[in-house]
Amino acid sequence: MNPNINDKDSRKIVDIIQSYAQKHSLWVLAYGTGCGAIEIPPTMTSRYDAERFGITGRPTPRMADVLLITGYLATKTLKRVIRSYEQMQSPKYVIGFGSCTINGGMYWDSYNTIKSLDHYLPVDVYINGCMPRPEAVISGFVKLQEMISNGTANGWEKYRDNLDLYRSQQKEVIKNWQMPDYNW
Amino acid sequence: MTREKETTLYLGPQHPGITGNMMVKLKVAGDEIVKAETHVGYLHRAFEKLMEARTWMQSFPIVCRICVPEPDPNEENFARAVEEIEGREVPERAQYIRVLVLELARLASFGLWFGGQSGSAGLYTMPQWTVGDRDYILDLFEELTGGRVYHMYIWPGGVRKDLPEGFTDRVLKTLDYLESRLPAIDNLMFDNAVFQKRAQGVGYIDPKMAREWGVVGPPLRACGFKNDVRIDEPYEIYDKLNFEVPTETGGDVWARALVRRREYDQSISIIRQVIEKMPGGEYYNKVPNPLTWTIPRGDAYVKTESVRGEFGYYVVSDGSTKPRRVHVRGPAYVHAVSLLERILVGANIADVSFIMNSLGTCPPEIER
Amino acid sequence: MNDIKQELLAEQTFADQIQKTFKTAGVRVIRKRRIEVVMRADLIPPYLTHAKNQHNFEHLSHISCVDWLEEGHFELVYILWSYTMEMQLIVKCRIPRHTPQFTSIQNIWEHAGTYEREIHEMYGITFAGNDNLGDFLLEDWEGPPPMRRDFDTVKYSEENFKDRMDARQDAQNVRETITKRSGEDMPDFAKPYSLR
Repeated sequence: MNPNINDKDSRKIVDIIQSYAQKHSLWVLAYGTGCGAIEIPPTMTSRYDAERFGITGRPTPRMADVLLITGYLATKTLKRVIRSYEQMQSPKYVIGFGSCTINGGMYWDSYNTIKSLDHYLPVDVYINGCMPRPEAVISGFVKLQEMISNGTANGWEKYRDNLDLYRSQQKEVIKNWQMPDYNW
Repeated sequence: MTREKETTLYLGPQHPGITGNMMVKLKVAGDEIVKAETHVGYLHRAFEKLMEARTWMQSFPIVCRICVPEPDPNEENFARAVEEIEGREVPERAQYIRVLVLELARLASFGLWFGGQSGSAGLYTMPQWTVGDRDYILDLFEELTGGRVYHMYIWPGGVRKDLPEGFTDRVLKTLDYLESRLPAIDNLMFDNAVFQKRAQGVGYIDPKMAREWGVVGPPLRACGFKNDVRIDEPYEIYDKLNFEVPTETGGDVWARALVRRREYDQSISIIRQVIEKMPGGEYYNKVPNPLTWTIPRGDAYVKTESVRGEFGYYVVSDGSTKPRRVHVRGPAYVHAVSLLERILVGANIADVSFIMNSLGTCPPEIER
Repeated sequence: MNDIKQELLAEQTFADQIQKTFKTAGVRVIRKRRIEVVMRADLIPPYLTHAKNQHNFEHLSHISCVDWLEEGHFELVYILWSYTMEMQLIVKCRIPRHTPQFTSIQNIWEHAGTYEREIHEMYGITFAGNDNLGDFLLEDWEGPPPMRRDFDTVKYSEENFKDRMDARQDAQNVRETITKRSGEDMPDFAKPYSLR
């Protein structure tokens, strides 16, 4: 998004190159938020080798492009996840992994887990299953790559534009909100 | 020498070195840890509460999710507790199949542990090998139960399905392959000077403390005690099998790694014996209609040896169709909270995840 | 019959021994390697010390708590294992539900403190002598202790999680999305479950 290029056609070329680069280096934040984290090592290691798609783990949010929510989120974790997400640099994507991010899954009546991740963070791709197989994980990433190249993976823009809405929904669950406000 | 200023360091929950989703709050002076405090609860899903609202059979999809790397001891425990309260017999073939599944789960869990332990020492080749090899065991599970990670296979009265045709041959073939990989693993991990230097003398547990602090499993055996639930209180058909319980005397990460490495051999040998002795017959003593199935009033404490040690379930029934109380005693509950807080004192920051891995920390079973 | 007695001989001898020392206790041999002792609540800490020092029950496996709402009691269960005798001792006591207070046994087993922290959080029982009874698993929890039988987790999650959907509504949404995306009709078997 170089502001100096204002010409419409060259802007398009820049976008194509940029999205090409982005989709082939999806760096995932190494944060195993739930039990789905157990299928991440097989996905990343020799048998399924997700690195051939440019998917690799990164230790800190500031290096990562993708936040992989591996399963249910306890309210205590949700607070940390929101903080990690807000530290990440745009463009950033969220992948909901497992049935419990979609509607709570088998934790539909639990007092400590959130039910629908979309209510708190903008989810770009959902991978269903409990647990999703490594093939499903990879297909989810490929779907995200497609969405990046045709410009529909814009959850982070949605989050930025509707920050107040998301914030109010987050604060309904997180009672004690003590977090720094990151500037956008 | 002047004492350096103390700093507070929050390790986790988002940290690549932390095993799972938990946090260790460290007070450090320079590189040395002065005080450690474990914070858990990031994975609390209230399983025990949810089970109070589920019938006995509906609880089975829940129990296997309590420990993610090794779900089968949970099913085994819960099934055995229900059988003990109800007084239900299990056919002999089902007992053999259960042991086969439990030992395969041990092998899979060891594969993950090899990767975690050496990965936290910077040997990133090991996870590529062992986690990749673990997948062959998961393939066997998939054939047997339909699920890679969560099986829901062991249930009251036996197992859910009989072994498919030719399954035992495929198990033996996989075992041969896994065994053929061991020299390479030994060469890279146990003969590696870097790993030896990192592991020796780190995370020392005093034998007296190990007994009194409720230490179980490989950390206890690495202190020289020959205690294993499979020997102390044999369940299923373990008393008919011939296997050793390896011990070491070092009490440090290195001793625990050696114990686990030798247990890997024992598990392979146990599976071979089970397949050799596997009897025919029924595999399931059918339970009545699960929706109206009541268990008589009573309680039971059962335990199973998982890779991390004694895995216990305390199950209480009030004579209804639903459990009154199911309380899980995970080995990591003691290891990762009170014990870790103690043995991290004096260690280096770089050794935290190394020690956590050697204790077999598994947050989901602490928080449930 | 004789064989069974022979098998449980060690257990029975030990049970008689406990009965002799603690006359008010209810001792029962459940099965091989399992002995149950039911005691008055105030005798628990001295008895556990006795069991640990005199009978080598040095491994504390577990501390559990059961809420008997109808009977107005909390039942505390201490599960010990002796490596030398190879026996599991299950010590139980009941405390009234309206005064949930008990004594900590952290001075006998260090790691008992962790179990007490959890029971404090989940049942609201305070343990005198344990000064670390803060937040353990939950964070900023405002409801009643969640593991109590009178806490309704379904109602709580309905009230507190606005993102929660009725399961049937949710299934309907999924079905509609699939139909819209693939252009197929809803399969026959799914139609009876549809809201319309």
